[in-house]
Amino acid sequence: MLTTPEKIAFILLVLVCGALAFTGFRRIFQIVGRGKSAPRTDHLLARVTRALVDVGLQRPMFKARPWVSLFHAFIFFGFSFYLLVNINDILEAFVDGWSTIGGGPLASLFNLLSDVFSVFVLLGMILLLLRRFVQQPESLRFNPAVKLHPKVAQGWIKNDSLIVGVFILLHVGSRWLGTALHLAERGAGDPWLPTASVASRLFAGMSVGTLETGIHVCWWLAMGLIVLFLPYFPRSKHLHLMVAPVNLALDKRTPRGELEKVQDASHPGAATLTELPWPNILDSFACIMCNRCQDACPAHASGTSLSPAALEINKRYFINEHAAELAAGNGSASLLDFAITEEAVWSCTSCFACVRVCPVGNEPMTDIIALRRGMVFAGEMPDEVAEVLRSLDEKGNSFGDSARKRAKWTKPLDFKIPDARKEPVEYLWFVGDFASFDQQCQEVSRTVARILHQAGISFGILYEGERSAGNDVRRVGEEGLFEALAEHNLETLESCDFDKIFTTDPHTFNALKNDYGPYAGASQYDIVHYSSLLLELLRSGRITLAQPLDGRATYHDPCYLGRYNGGFDAPRGIIGACGVDLVEMPRNRENSFCCGAGGGRIWMKDQETLVERPSENRIREALELGEIDYFVVSCPKDLTMYRDAVKTSGNEGKIEVRDIVDLVADAMGLGEEEAVA
Amino acid sequence: MKLVVLMKRLPDLVEDLEVDDSGKALDAEFLKFTLNEFDDHALEEALLLKEATGGELTVVAVDGEDVDKMLYTALAKGADTALKISGTGEIGSTSHLARIFTQSLADRSYDLILTGVQAADDRDGQLAPTVAAMIGAPCIEVVTGIEHEAGKLIVRKEYSGGVLAEFDVEPPAVLGIQAARQTPRYAPVSKVRQVQESATLETVTLAADTGKSFDIIRMTPPETGAGAEMLGGVDELVKVMESKGVL
Repeated sequence: MLTTPEKIAFILLVLVCGALAFTGFRRIFQIVGRGKSAPRTDHLLARVTRALVDVGLQRPMFKARPWVSLFHAFIFFGFSFYLLVNINDILEAFVDGWSTIGGGPLASLFNLLSDVFSVFVLLGMILLLLRRFVQQPESLRFNPAVKLHPKVAQGWIKNDSLIVGVFILLHVGSRWLGTALHLAERGAGDPWLPTASVASRLFAGMSVGTLETGIHVCWWLAMGLIVLFLPYFPRSKHLHLMVAPVNLALDKRTPRGELEKVQDASHPGAATLTELPWPNILDSFACIMCNRCQDACPAHASGTSLSPAALEINKRYFINEHAAELAAGNGSASLLDFAITEEAVWSCTSCFACVRVCPVGNEPMTDIIALRRGMVFAGEMPDEVAEVLRSLDEKGNSFGDSARKRAKWTKPLDFKIPDARKEPVEYLWFVGDFASFDQQCQEVSRTVARILHQAGISFGILYEGERSAGNDVRRVGEEGLFEALAEHNLETLESCDFDKIFTTDPHTFNALKNDYGPYAGASQYDIVHYSSLLLELLRSGRITLAQPLDGRATYHDPCYLGRYNGGFDAPRGIIGACGVDLVEMPRNRENSFCCGAGGGRIWMKDQETLVERPSENRIREALELGEIDYFVVSCPKDLTMYRDAVKTSGNEGKIEVRDIVDLVADAMGLGEEEAVA
Repeated sequence: MKLVVLMKRLPDLVEDLEVDDSGKALDAEFLKFTLNEFDDHALEEALLLKEATGGELTVVAVDGEDVDKMLYTALAKGADTALKISGTGEIGSTSHLARIFTQSLADRSYDLILTGVQAADDRDGQLAPTVAAMIGAPCIEVVTGIEHEAGKLIVRKEYSGGVLAEFDVEPPAVLGIQAARQTPRYAPVSKVRQVQESATLETVTLAADTGKSFDIIRMTPPETGAGAEMLGGVDELVKVMESKGVL
C-alpha cells in the first residue's frame, strides 16, 4: 500500500510518461502510414489467430539458434505473465488490504507462477546478457563493407541491449525481492512462493521499518521503472514485443514465390524510405536486430556489403533520427544514402532465406526488390544486367542467342520431340533458358527427353515459341520486361493442347506457378517440377530402374524448388529409389544455402568484396560430410554453379556434381548419350 | 545545343544469315533487326552531352521493320524528338544513306550530328564523313568521348597504337562515335511502353529520287578456304618437310 504522496507521484508519472509515449507511438503510426499501400487486411481472423499461435508457441524463433530461442522463451513467458503481475501490484499499491499472499487457491497458483516465471526471466536475461557482452558471438558483427548508420557503428545496438537488459533485471528482480521482503515482514515463508521464501530468510530479523522501506523501494523499482520505460519503447528495439505480433499478423499471405505487382508503372519500386510499401516500413520497428537473417544470407556469407539485418536496422535508426519530419511527410533521403550500398542491392540472390528465418516476419528481400525496380527504371544497374535484359527483350533469352536456336539442343536426339504448338500432348515441357542454351545443361535436358521417350510419355516442347519465363527478370527489378515475357508465354500456352506443364528449371517453375498466377486469368495451369514428374513415373511403374546404383550422395535444395515451393521430398525420393545413400548437409531443406545464382546474380560479375562464393562455401559443406560420391542437384543453374565451384575451390575429382535425372538414367541403364544418338 | 543522332538498324548477327533466291540480298525471312551498336554508343554520348548542356536531342532513322521500337526506345532513354524517314526506297550504299539523312535534316537546324563510327554493312566508316562533306561541316571519326567546357566542345579521338588526341570543336560538326564514355543505358520496357502511348514519331517523306548510287550485282557468303592442316607431332612435321623436299 503506497502512501498518498507516493500515489500522487505515481499517477503523475503515468500521465507524463504516458503522454510522451503516446506521442512516440502516434509518430510510428504516421510514419508507417506514409508508405505505399499494400494488401494486408484480408482474412483478418486467420491473420490474428496465426500470429497468436506463432507468438504463443514461439514457433518462428525456433527456426534457428535453439538455445538462444529457449532463453528467449523463458523471458517471453515470464514477461507475458508479468502483465498480470503488474496489474496485481498496482492493485496492491492502491487498494487497501489487497494481497495475494496467503490467499485462496487461485491466488496461490498466481503466486507460484509469478515466483517461477520471475526466476525464468532472470535466468534467461542473465544468460542472454552473458552471450552478448561476454561471449560476443561473431553473428552480431557485420562485414566490414556493410553500410551502417553512424549510431550503429558507434555501438548503439549494444547500448540499447544493455538498457533493455538492465531494465528487465531490475523490473523483475525488484518485484521478486519485494515479495521476499513481504514474506520476511510476515515472518514466515509461503510454499506457493518457493524461491522468494528462500530469499526472505536473508532478511529475517530486520526491523519492520527497514523492511517496509525496502518494500516501497522495490515497488518503485519494479513499477516506476516500467512507466519510465514507456517513452523509451518507441525508440528502442525492445518495441519488438509490441510490433512483432502485429507484423506477423500482417504478413504477406500470397505464395512466397509471387512478388507483389508494381502499383504505379510510371514510378515503380522505391528510392526512399516512404516510397516502400508500409509493411516494409513496419518491418524496421519489428526488427529486434538479432542478425539471424544475416546468418542465413549467402551474400553476407560471401563477404559482400549486403546484410539484410543492417538494412532494417539502418532504416530504424534513420527513422529515430528523423521521426518528426517523416511523420509530417518530409525527410525523404535515398535509401542508398543511409540504408544499403548499391553493391549490396545487386548482391541479393533473392533466395528468401532472410525472410524465412526472420522470427518477427520481416521481408528485407522485398525492400531490395523495390530498390531494384526503382533503379532499373532509372537505368541504374550493372552493365552485365543491362546487357542481359536487352538480350531478353530482343531475343527472349538471357544468352544473347537467336530465339530460333532455342531447341537446337534437341538435334542430337534420335527422335523428334513433338511440337506442342502443333499437336496435343499430355505434358508440355517448359524447358527454360539454362536447360536450352547452356551446353552442360543441354546434356541433362536430352537425358530428360530420353527418359520420357523411353517411358513412352506423351510430351512436347514449344520450340522457338518459348521465351524466358522471366523469374530472374522480375527479381532484378525489370517488371515491364517480366510482364512482356509472361504475356508472350501465356499467349503461346493458351494456343496449345496439353494436360500438365512440367519444367526443368526451378526458377521457371516458380515463375509459371506463382508469378504468372495473377496474369493467367482463368487458365490456372497444373505445373510440376521434373523431380515430381519423375518420382510419379517411378512410383506408377512407368519408369523401371533395372540397375540400381550404390554410393553416397548429398543433395542441394534449390531455393526456388525447396524454400519457395516446398519441393523437398520428390528429389530425395528419386535419389533413394536409385539406390544411392543420401547424406544430408547441415543446411538442408528450408534452411538450404543458396548457390549464389538467383535473383539475376548468375548474370553478374563477382563483387569486389567477395571472400568466398556461396557455391564454394556449399561445396566445402558437402566435403565436410566425409566420403561423398555425388553432389546431386535438380536445377540447371546449380549444375553449372557447382561444377564451376568444384573446380575453382580446387576440389576436382573429390566430388561429382550430377543432376537427379543422371542418376535415374544410370539406374534405368539408359546408357551414354552417344550410344543412343 | 541541338544534337542529332543518325541511327541505323542492322540484321542481328546472332541469326544465321542467308542470301535469298535473287542472289542480291539477305533472305528477309530469317532476318531480325537490331540497332547498330555503334549508333547506340552515339546515342549514349549524345544523351550524356544533353544532360550536361541541357541541349535538345533528335534521333533520326530510316523507316523499316522494328524501327518504331528503336525510335521509341531512344525517346524512353531521353531523346526529345524522333524523326522517321520514309519514301526512300531501297538503300544502295552508305553515300546513298548519307544523302537521305542530309535531305531529311534540310529544314532543321543542328549543332552536332553524331552517328556510329561504323556498322556491319559499313566497315570502312563512311557515313559520318560523307554526311559531313554533304553539309560542309568538319568531321571527326573514332570519337571516344566528348567534354563540354565553358561553351566549348572538346572531342577525344583514338588513334591506333594507343595515342589519344583532343580537338576543340566549333559546331556545326559531324562525329563518328567509337564508344561512349559509359555503356549505353538500358531503357526499361515499361518506360518504352509508356513513351509509345504518350509520344509520337515525326515523319519526313523524301522525294521519290534520293539518288541511289549503285546496284548490288551478287551477294554470296565468303568462300571458305581449305583451312590449315593440324599436325599431330614432330614425326608428322618431319614427314611433311621430307615430302616438300626441305629435308
